[in-house]
Amino acid sequence: MSIDAIALEMRDITKSFPGVRALEAVSFDCAHGEVHAICGENGAGKSTLIKVLGGIYQPDAGSILIEGKPAAFSHPVEARRAGISIIHQELSLLPHRTVAENIYLGLEPTRGGRLDRKAMMEGARRLLGRLGSPISADARAGDLAIAEQQTVEIAKALALDARILVMDEPTAALDDTNAKRLLDLVARLRSEGVAIVYVSHRMPEIAAIADRVTIMKDGRKVETAPIGAMPTDRIVRLMVGRELSDYYPARPDTPPGDVLLEIAGGGNAELADIDLSVRAGEIVGIAGLEGSGKAALARAIFGDQPFTRGTVRFLGAPIDLRHPRAGIEAGIGFLSDDRKREGCLLQQSLRDNLLLVRRAFASPVRGSRAGTLADGEADTMMRRLDVRAAHFGQAIGALSGGNQQKVILGRWLARDPRLLVFCEPTRGIDVAAKAAIYQLMRDVAARGRGVVMVSSDLPEVIGVSDRILVMHQGRIAGECSPEVGEEGVMALAVGHRPAPLDVAREGALA
Amino acid sequence: MTLADTLPASRRTRRSLPVPLLLFLASAVLYVGAALYTGQLNQLGASGLVGLAQRMVGLGIVALGQTFVILAGSIDLSVANLISVSAVLASFVMQGDPAMIAPAVLLVLVVSAAVGFVNGGVVAKLGVNPLIATLGVGLILQGLLSASFNNFAGSVPEAFQGLAYGTIGIIPWSVLALLALAIIGALLLRSTRFGAHLYATGGNMDGARLAGIRTDRITILAHVICSLMAGLTGLYLASRLRSGAPWVGRDGVYDLESIAVVVIGGTLLSGGRGGVWGTLAGVLLFATLDAVFNMLGVPAFPKQVMRGAIVILAVAAYAIRNKGPVA
Amino acid sequence: MSVAAAGEPKWNGGMSLFRKINIAVIVFVILYAGIAILQPNYLEPAGITNFLRRATPLAVLACGQIFVLVAGGFDLSMGALVTLTVIGGSMLTDNDPGNTAWAILVLYAIGLGVGLVNGLVVTVLRVPSIIATLGMLLSLNGVAMMWSGGSPRGYLPDNFRFFGRFTFRDVPLVGSFPVAVVVLVVVALAAWWGLQKTVFGKRVFAIGDNPRAAALSGVRVEATRIAAFVISALAAVTGGILLGGFGGVSVDVGSGLELQAIAACVIGGVQLMGGRGSVIGAVAGALTLFALFTLLNLLGLPQPLKDTAQGVILISAVASGAWRRRRAG
Repeated sequence: MSIDAIALEMRDITKSFPGVRALEAVSFDCAHGEVHAICGENGAGKSTLIKVLGGIYQPDAGSILIEGKPAAFSHPVEARRAGISIIHQELSLLPHRTVAENIYLGLEPTRGGRLDRKAMMEGARRLLGRLGSPISADARAGDLAIAEQQTVEIAKALALDARILVMDEPTAALDDTNAKRLLDLVARLRSEGVAIVYVSHRMPEIAAIADRVTIMKDGRKVETAPIGAMPTDRIVRLMVGRELSDYYPARPDTPPGDVLLEIAGGGNAELADIDLSVRAGEIVGIAGLEGSGKAALARAIFGDQPFTRGTVRFLGAPIDLRHPRAGIEAGIGFLSDDRKREGCLLQQSLRDNLLLVRRAFASPVRGSRAGTLADGEADTMMRRLDVRAAHFGQAIGALSGGNQQKVILGRWLARDPRLLVFCEPTRGIDVAAKAAIYQLMRDVAARGRGVVMVSSDLPEVIGVSDRILVMHQGRIAGECSPEVGEEGVMALAVGHRPAPLDVAREGALA
Repeated sequence: MTLADTLPASRRTRRSLPVPLLLFLASAVLYVGAALYTGQLNQLGASGLVGLAQRMVGLGIVALGQTFVILAGSIDLSVANLISVSAVLASFVMQGDPAMIAPAVLLVLVVSAAVGFVNGGVVAKLGVNPLIATLGVGLILQGLLSASFNNFAGSVPEAFQGLAYGTIGIIPWSVLALLALAIIGALLLRSTRFGAHLYATGGNMDGARLAGIRTDRITILAHVICSLMAGLTGLYLASRLRSGAPWVGRDGVYDLESIAVVVIGGTLLSGGRGGVWGTLAGVLLFATLDAVFNMLGVPAFPKQVMRGAIVILAVAAYAIRNKGPVA
Repeated sequence: MSVAAAGEPKWNGGMSLFRKINIAVIVFVILYAGIAILQPNYLEPAGITNFLRRATPLAVLACGQIFVLVAGGFDLSMGALVTLTVIGGSMLTDNDPGNTAWAILVLYAIGLGVGLVNGLVVTVLRVPSIIATLGMLLSLNGVAMMWSGGSPRGYLPDNFRFFGRFTFRDVPLVGSFPVAVVVLVVVALAAWWGLQKTVFGKRVFAIGDNPRAAALSGVRVEATRIAAFVISALAAVTGGILLGGFGGVSVDVGSGLELQAIAACVIGGVQLMGGRGSVIGAVAGALTLFALFTLLNLLGLPQPLKDTAQGVILISAVASGAWRRRRAG
């Protein structure tokens, strides 16, 4: 790659918000035909940098050069005109509009003042074809699976004929197969000469795709280097200042206790023939591809999307949960995979968030800060969980994802259910907080509670679980021990062959 | 936003009859049923049907405008007050003089556009919740109007009454005008970039912004269209009543009813999906109910009670399928 | 950005105290000063208590409305319920003071019913509350007209009017003290306790902030929402009983009050669409709005300009709040 192929250069970008210096003299560049990865913990300033590039924020100081020419963006429209396309972490599709309408949003071709719908359809088909995607151009975007929506987002960027493509955690919501497909696509775009800025938490991806890596921490650039000079453990150390080895907590030597939960023949609209048991003191991992039913299984256990068939026994007695409250009453807790939409009361204080479950089951006329609902109780819990905030009366919306997750977890620990169901417990949170959450899960199990962990992150499932159930098309495809490794789990998840070290399911259930 | 949460629900949607057709059939059954039940068979003749169509005009025009703002993810609670303002303004400026028709109409349209601009600006630029913004603007308008006029003001000349009472053959001008406006509205939404950007603004404001759409301008333009439609409704009412009074808009409950028919017509209250034909079918349903009440001889006050209940039930017919939280 | 934290924020001088004072309180003091300049007797104890008496119905309505607003909804049927209360009171008592006690009970029962219907329409039929309660407004107005035969007039019995009209004389320190102000204090304290000091109140905030998260945490979202509508309706009946003591019976005694109550809450910092607000703010907002009306009156401006002023203050209150939030990031 030669110097004159530099597509994008950001020089000494500084950006402050009231009370926070989000970026401090950050410089960054990316060449045509290069994938330049940006790594950093949450709050390191990656998203701010991207938003400056996209014209959403205006920098306080510093300059941006596109193809060597200075540029200043006061609105996203100007960044787009300069050939920059950003695929944000949160998808921006219109659920009720067609794929073609979404792809050409803001770029609609017209003929004689009227929308040229034919040109839109043809163009959309061509772009999707170029991406090797079978998605129909006149499907409603809201009907697509997340991975397909991600493809449409990329097609949107291609429609713009973007020379610079920025991807902010594009695989965060994808399972491994779709993530791999996306990486192939990124490679293809790179070979077409697109400059790609790639933000991700997933180390294997970065190792596989990036040409160079930039590490950010606390709003500053720590280092930029070719990927060859940056082994994964070094990246992690630069990001958080700790080694990978103490990432997952050690498994206990003691065997699990009595059976807590036992499901036989469970099923509903998305699940069939679910047989599973969870014992006190163990962490059961549930893996599977997107749409395999693993999330539906978690919700069925909790009573949010109840089983309509089969029998469920909990603590030895049959139960039939019709709604979340019934699940909680029975002694089950649930951490949603959508923290923002189903977890946080964003405007309420950390204390109010932490006490939500307790208050849901207290008498309505009771004082909201009396006895077990007192500030002191809540604060003790949050200190135990190492929640980092300016103060505990602060609104939870201002916290990082990891700290939010700790508070939500605390909400359940305050109730101390016999069984806790975690859905994607570390989605979108930084490495340090991840390690803390894993340790907390292990602590919960060690106190004789059962833990079910649904996760799309295979290393996590293997690193944390005592045993692993793999879902495929709404059924449990098999059970295996963590020793089978990622390939063994994946083999079950895609439904091809039994895992090499598959434990006979009958044996496990006995 | 991620679309993950909309997935399971939308995947299961079964394609049923289009909403406008459904509402049209329901209206037809109601109307014919009532006419047969009460033995008023003349209601089924041409003049009866024309009368029914005429009932649609006032609410129809303002509801077309309301469709635009709701699609953009906003709402307009000031339409009833603006209707009063424009009706009074028109008849006050005209004072029965045919020469003043053109200046009066022009003035009404300019004032309406200005009100829409203010509404849209307060919503888009100042970031005020649209309910509050338009409620506030409505209060401001009503206060100024009622402080200046307390009864019918002026009158409209004979020639201007033709707008409400003139016909081509047996079809009233006003019905044709409503139809023309609906067609223009449908074309705007379906076949222009503005239409596409309007759906985008209402469907996913952040996404639209990131796609380079100037959502502020779209919101303001939608409000200007809505206010112009309210202004036209005011002109129509002045023509029909032969004069304007400061209570004509509020008496017609045009704010609530225009929102109700838009929602009944299948447009999402949160924006991003819907269209004018559904709205027009909703207006037809309301006009039909009105006509049916008249045929059945329901007195005024019980009619009002039933209207309130019907608005709720009609919206409930949609809303009850919605599984998300409602506040 | 994130600092390992202790429990409490550190006291950082007068600025945080200034921020904690509701902005409505400051605006109120300015407006009341304006009133006092025009009419100095508003500074005498009798003037102050009389001002409070007349502002009481609005403040009571705001104390009810805030529950629905914080829960993320709107109650637009309040004004119509006030009208129905006054007209219903006159029909039920039929000028006989002996009927007052049970008439008031019946009125509260009607309020309970209206609140339940509002709440059920929103939670079970899933109609957005702005439409549900507007429909209720239309229906209640129709019911009031039907009940009274179209043209109610006259006055309620004296003992019915006690709450709105009666003033204790020769009270030490203040001289005279209206019963209505006692009602205001009781209602405001009850609302403050209910919304800000109980588990129920915390649930109202929770469902207004994120109903889905609340439901997954076991909160009975629908029951809580229905209760908020019932509280709002009961406040409206209380407001109606007070207003019945102020003047005669008419069909428009309550019209527009629902918007004034919402405006009062918004001025007091209550956030529309739920999750934030305080009862002190709502009461302060009501007093501010009423002071504004009084000032306009003293300035001799036409009565309808009240609406205009209300519109201006409503927009500017929300706009300034939005501006402050945007600046805070």
